[in-house]
Order: sequence, then structure tokens, then C-alpha cells
Amino acid sequence: MAPLGLTCPDCSSPNIVEDDLYSQPQLVCEDCGSVVSEGALTSDRGEGTDVSYRLTTAVSKQPCVNQIKGLQRVKAICRILRLNSEIEELAETYYKQAYEHRNFINVSLQKKDALVGCCVLVSCRLRNWPITMGTVSCLLDTDPMLVGVIYQEMVKTLNIEPHSQACIADVLEAHCQEYKISSPHVPEELAEDTKDITKRAVALVELAADSWIVTGRRPLPIMMATIFLAWQSLNPTKLRLKYTLERFCQLAKVTKTKPALKRITEIKEMLCKLGQEIPWLRGVVTPDNAIQQVEYILKYRYALLRRALRTHEDALMDAQQPSCKDFQPGIQSEEPSSKVAGPSQTSWPAEQTTNKSFEEASESNTENNQQPGDEQVNLCSTGAQVSQDLEPNWGKRLLFAPPCVKHPKIRRMDKPALKDVTGEEEISDSEIDSYIRSPQEVRAFALAKMMLCSSDKH
Amino acid sequence: MDSSNDEALDIIVTNVVATFRTRCHLNLRTIALEGTNVIYKPEVGKVLMKLRKPMITASIWSSGKIICTGATSEDESKLGARRLARSLQKLGFKVRFSDYKVVNVLAVCSMPFAVHLIDFTKNNRPIASYEPELHPAATYRIKNLKATVQVFSTGSLTVTGPNVQNVATAVEQVYPLLFECQKPLCN
Repeated sequence: MAPLGLTCPDCSSPNIVEDDLYSQPQLVCEDCGSVVSEGALTSDRGEGTDVSYRLTTAVSKQPCVNQIKGLQRVKAICRILRLNSEIEELAETYYKQAYEHRNFINVSLQKKDALVGCCVLVSCRLRNWPITMGTVSCLLDTDPMLVGVIYQEMVKTLNIEPHSQACIADVLEAHCQEYKISSPHVPEELAEDTKDITKRAVALVELAADSWIVTGRRPLPIMMATIFLAWQSLNPTKLRLKYTLERFCQLAKVTKTKPALKRITEIKEMLCKLGQEIPWLRGVVTPDNAIQQVEYILKYRYALLRRALRTHEDALMDAQQPSCKDFQPGIQSEEPSSKVAGPSQTSWPAEQTTNKSFEEASESNTENNQQPGDEQVNLCSTGAQVSQDLEPNWGKRLLFAPPCVKHPKIRRMDKPALKDVTGEEEISDSEIDSYIRSPQEVRAFALAKMMLCSSDKH
Repeated sequence: MDSSNDEALDIIVTNVVATFRTRCHLNLRTIALEGTNVIYKPEVGKVLMKLRKPMITASIWSSGKIICTGATSEDESKLGARRLARSLQKLGFKVRFSDYKVVNVLAVCSMPFAVHLIDFTKNNRPIASYEPELHPAATYRIKNLKATVQVFSTGSLTVTGPNVQNVATAVEQVYPLLFECQKPLCN
């Protein structure tokens, strides 16, 4: 109700009401509708302007609302991760630079959120603070692939040269903290001190890296596998050995990753190969009893590695010797095996120690046998052809090689490429006609289509 | 194609992408009706036409721009493109084969040794980049050749470049760098 005593200047009626137009308080006459008085249009507001950021022509641009929010998110993430102030400031600087760059100013809000995480990631990498992309995408609750894409774009745009991924050993320490496997959380027989697990897991990871299990793989499953094996090996009781990865993850309250199972198998295989070389062990080392030997394997790993490689070399040489002795003149019935083809492949410049002595030994053998004449050369070259057709797997010759080389997928033979094509040949009419429908076919096709359409409608 | 090194490295070209123009408007409905081996995609506005020999798939737009993919050599790609233009001519369009250009060549190659990607990336920063969480291969971009080499830890390489010569040169350039990183540094 209007204050008493006010009358409309036009029609002198006392019926004046408060009627706000949007946010502007007004006093309006009820009878004739004229505005008696009006209040202020705007009030003092802290942030934001009435003109949108894009349309503003202010000379010194203030950061827009989203940029301010983004910077606050950067600060929040740094606090959550307990990063030091240097990294925090660096992340904020990068965020400002990236946000205002033309590559990022117009991207969607989702991508700008991902940019927040990428700036933190890059600053951590530059200051050698171990952090994975998985952690960042978890904190932001976004798709890790999106984070990856934005990260690469950002690094290219800002011309940063981050150090490559921190080595797994550093990230492992932080990751181990997540596993609730120490005394208060689990029963005594299953408990282990986090520091001990970390130490052993780091040693296992380094050993895995030496045997080609780590290169090219995602870090998380490897970390999970090594922590699990470390936990089992620190106290290899029957109870612990019976535990599967799934139960262990439930115990430690972490989510299991499927590839971790494959990594466990690969690491156990590697442990078996090294366990075989332990001098005081009798009997075969199988994946089941390899865990008990982990302590010794880790303690003497370099010596065991050397022994294993040497044993493998000797085994290869022994396999090579008898087939070279068969390299006698006049043997046509002898089928060239892939091992005989070995010497003809000395053109590979590879100087792997496993193959070096192997090549030298076989070269001296072939020199001795070269007098008997051309049949030898023919046998050798046909052997080479046969083996190249079979695609000899160099991975099988080595003791340690990346797993997908040792167990390659069988590829189907691709169609051979057209030979002697110049690109300028004549194209005959008959060839082209095969790609064009005859008029009868066209009519039939059109009819069929019409019938199908009409039947769809009904 | 073999490189000029002593060792014979088999570089197998698996895909060649080329574009050309017909300099005339093409009626996609006619092509879809009267051509065999065609798929009409009205929502995108193009027709996919597949040739049997050479095995090529072509995307045809009504503006007359055509992209050919699937050939295994540059000459095969040109032959396929010309065959395609000829078929369109027979369908009744006033086609002129012009602006033929090979846009991209994809080749694979295999090293007879495994490559330690972390060492490779460390030695070749910033040209090489490796993010195991995103992709299992390290990417090596050669700016002057405009070629990208993806190196897997098994020693396989995937090379993309603007033509076959660049691709071969890229493999030659990258080979010695890979050779250095055969074994993990810590051993």
C-alpha cells in the first residue's frame, strides 16, 4: 500500500499502489495507470556486471566469472592434493595463460573444467611431484581421455616441455597409502606395514621394468599387481597365498582393475625364470611356489638376471650346434629349419648379447662348411626364404621380451598388393560397366525401393 | 619399399588417402540409383562407392569433391581414382579428372628388437612424447617431413606422412634413435 497522503498528479485519485517493474520499485496510480514515482534501477552488486563479458568494451578487461571460478578450483585441487605453494602458483599462472589463449577461450565449460586439472598436472610434472592422470580425472570426475586430449593441446599451445611421466616407483608410494592393509584395519595375520609393502613393491616394479612388463602399459594395474604380490610374499602363509586378487582388493577397500590379473601372471612367469637360477633350490619353480622365493630373488636379482641370461644363451647355442653340424654337402632331403636360417639373418645389426655369441658361433660354422659348394648356399637361401615366410619370432629367442612379442596374435594374410601398377593405364569400358546398373536393373531397384517404403508405411 | 640402409626393413604401406575434383556438380541420388556397390548417406550428404580392383572406398560429395581411401600404393590410388572418375562419366556427368593429390600415407614397420619407451622419450624430448595412461605408444613428430611416427614397445612402428618418400625417410631418421634404446638404461 502506498504511503498515506499521496495522490496521483493526473487523476487525483488516492489509490496508489507499489508495483515493481522488474527490479525497479515504482508507485503507480491504480485508476489511470500513471507512474507517480520510481526508485533506483540497480543496487550495489559485488561481482559481475550487467553487460555480458563478451560484449563489454572495457579497456582493461576484468577476468570473467568462469575464469575466477576456475582459478578457485585450481586452488582447491592443490589444497586437496596438499601440493606446495610453488606448484599452486605455477598452476594458477598456466591456467590464466591458457584460458585467455584463443585456443581455449571459446571451448565448452566441460573442457575448461578439464583444463583446471591439466594445469595442476603440468605444474606437478615440472616440479617432479608424482601424480597420475587417473588421479586428476578422478578429482574432476571427468573422462580421462578428455583430460588427456586437453592436456596435450595445452602443452602444445603454451609450449611447455614437461618431464615425462614420473617413474612408477614414486607414484607407487602415494598409491600404497590408499590400501588399508595395516594393523587396525585388518586381522593380525593379514596385516602388513605400509612402508614394508611399498619397499617390496618398488623393487618388484623395477624388476618388472627390466623384463619388459612395464613399458607401454598403464601404471595402475601394474601397481596393484606388485602391491598384491608384495603383500603375499612378505609373509607367505597358506592363508595369504589362498587369497585371490579380488578378495585382497575387498580387504584393502580398493577397486580391482582387470588388467592387474594379467600383470600378476606375467610377473609370476618372470619370477619363475629367475627362481630357476637360485643355486640352493631343488625342483622346478612354478608360478604357485614362486612367491616364497620372492625375498631371495629380490635380494640377488642382478646376479640371478645375469645367470638366467647366460643359461638362455647356452641353451640357444646348444640348440644351434647340432643343426649346423648337419650342414654337410649333398643333403637335399634335409628340410631347412628356421634355426638354420639364423646365420643368413646376420644382416640384422642387432647386437643383443643373447644373440651375439650365437651369431659368432654360427658364422664360424658356416665358414667351415662353405667349401662344399653352391648347394650349401642354395639350402641356406631357401632356408632364409622359408623362415621369412614363417616370420621368425625374434621375441621367442630372447629370455625377456615384451609379452605381445612372445605371444603374437596370429595375423591373417593380407591380400597382396597389385603389382606393376603405374596409375596411368587404360581403363576399358567393360571394367567400368561392372560398376553401373543396366536400365532394367535400375527400374527393378526403384520398384523394389518403392514397395519397401510403402510396406514400411503400412 | 626398402630403405637405403644395409639392413632390409620392410616398410609396408597399408593405406593411401587421396582427393580429386570432378569440376561439375554430381547428383547423389542418380549415383545411388544407377551405381552398384554404393551406399547413400543423405544425413551427411555423401555417397560411398566401393571399387573391387583396386580395393578402394571413395566418398563422393555433390560439389564434385571426392576422397579415395584404401589403396596400398600411390599408383594404385591414382588408378582407382581414374576408374572412379570414368564410372561417373559413364553415368552421364561431365567429369574432368583434376587436382589429384595424395593427402596421407599410412605405413607400418617392425623393428627386430624391443624399444624402451621411457628412455626413448627422455633422449628425444620434446620431439617425442609418451603418456602410458593415454596410449601405449610413444609419438615422435618430425616437423620438416610432416610425418608422425608411433613407436610401440614391441618395436612396431606406425608412420603417417604426406607421401611414401617422406614415410621412408622418417623411418630412416628414427631407426638410429630406436636402436640406442633397445635395453632399459638401468641394466
